[in-house]
Amino acid sequence: MSAIWVGAFYNPHLGADLARATGIDHLAMADPPAPSDPHWPAIKQRYTLLLHDYLGQLSEPLDERSIARARALAELYGTPWVAEHFQCLHTEDGRYNINYVFPPLYTEEFLRRFVANAKALQARLDQPLVMENIPGFFDVKASQLPEPVWLRRFFDETAAGFLLDLPHVWLEAHYRGVNPAAWLAEFPLEQVVELHVAGVAQDEDLQGPWIAPTEPTEVMLDFMALAVSRCPRARAVTFDAFSPSLTADVLLRSVERIRRAL
Amino acid sequence: MSDRGLQDLVLRALADAPFRASREWRDRELADAGRLERFARFLARHFYYERIVHFFKYSRSLAAVTRRRPEAVLRSAGFDALLATAVLGSRETARAVAGTVVRHVQAPTPAPPIPYLSDLLRYEQAMMIAEAGPRVWRETGKGEGERGKGAPPELVEGTVLLELAFDLPTVLPRLLEPWTEVPQAPERRVKLLIARSPHGRVTVARADAAVASVVELADGRKTLADLARQAGLRAADLEAALASLADLGAVRFATGS
Repeated sequence: MSAIWVGAFYNPHLGADLARATGIDHLAMADPPAPSDPHWPAIKQRYTLLLHDYLGQLSEPLDERSIARARALAELYGTPWVAEHFQCLHTEDGRYNINYVFPPLYTEEFLRRFVANAKALQARLDQPLVMENIPGFFDVKASQLPEPVWLRRFFDETAAGFLLDLPHVWLEAHYRGVNPAAWLAEFPLEQVVELHVAGVAQDEDLQGPWIAPTEPTEVMLDFMALAVSRCPRARAVTFDAFSPSLTADVLLRSVERIRRAL
Repeated sequence: MSDRGLQDLVLRALADAPFRASREWRDRELADAGRLERFARFLARHFYYERIVHFFKYSRSLAAVTRRRPEAVLRSAGFDALLATAVLGSRETARAVAGTVVRHVQAPTPAPPIPYLSDLLRYEQAMMIAEAGPRVWRETGKGEGERGKGAPPELVEGTVLLELAFDLPTVLPRLLEPWTEVPQAPERRVKLLIARSPHGRVTVARADAAVASVVELADGRKTLADLARQAGLRAADLEAALASLADLGAVRFATGS
């Protein structure tokens, strides 16, 4: 277990704290560094950096501009792998955009699209591609396959790595009314390269729990320990919080607690 | 309908409250209406939180003086009232949300400590509205934004020429640094051009007299010769103004088709 990196997201407003922090092995980069960020040089020199930006949605092929951007960011960070999400969040015509991760319909057509577009992206990257699962708050009746089956087929056909977001699995289990460990067991855990762990909090609109920039609960840490024990290829666990409201205390304490729980 | 088309319907239902309430959507019974509504409201608050925090970051930095954080409106009755008609990303909803923020921040603040507050809020509001609207997510190879040779230029929707009483660009960077006394802006009239690229990137630049004239006159019908004559510009100055406007995404060139 000790070989697994434990890290967090780079939150620029916490740059000074992260530049001098100890006990953090890596930082995931959700946005490129701002040109005026005074802490970026120290961060870049000190940490292993993981590319975790929005590159594009793989329901459509990435265009040359997006691929060039992905390659440039991967080179800038020296990232060991490139992450994207199983998401489809804007309409094809660009008119509607929900600006938040949202899963595709789990259908044969979308599987073909994601497999083809992921393979095309893999061919243009110098690093392995990993893909992150996205939670569904409600089911769409047009879906044809259970999410874990759809994901397993995707990974089998592309050989991409799995970025397992544990709170996403936990939330789906909660809203489906099923046991989180049983739901987790359905996923292709043997493909997992990286895991995300985060806190959850009650959301007024959803009238239930959702991901929040808070510390993971003991229940979530136990869930993480269980998951890691079933992911033989896992190389990193990342505290998944990226928000202007996140404090340094919460970030540093969460990383420490994740490390202790592993 | 393809699965991609169905996905687009779900995305539209999440983004577009009037569509969500329509028979066209409800009769499809694609998802639990209650859950979809809850998720749509969650998305709306998230969508505008990101934009308010980004576009109103300068007035946010003044919250110690105004005692009003712009994003607080997201938990107000005024914002809740907008949710029934909100279309995420539309210019109309951006205008309504930004207007709510401006009223919230401006209402209780006496002028003396921040004489330029009204200008600042107008500037931030204009930026947020300019960013809204459909965007190009992927290049399709159809040459979006290419410049037609000699074609009449027209203003791109969302481009704004803002006239301010205070020289805001001189104070904005200082507002984001630590300060104990409110940084002041010189009282000096400036014109700022706010434009948005097809990919949704908002740019702001000082507008000189030539640029301001072209912005006011370019309507997609006036030829370059008309523009030069009416703006009182030499051909070279007009070319330079158009080039800088095109770079910002403020004008495009009508093709007639």
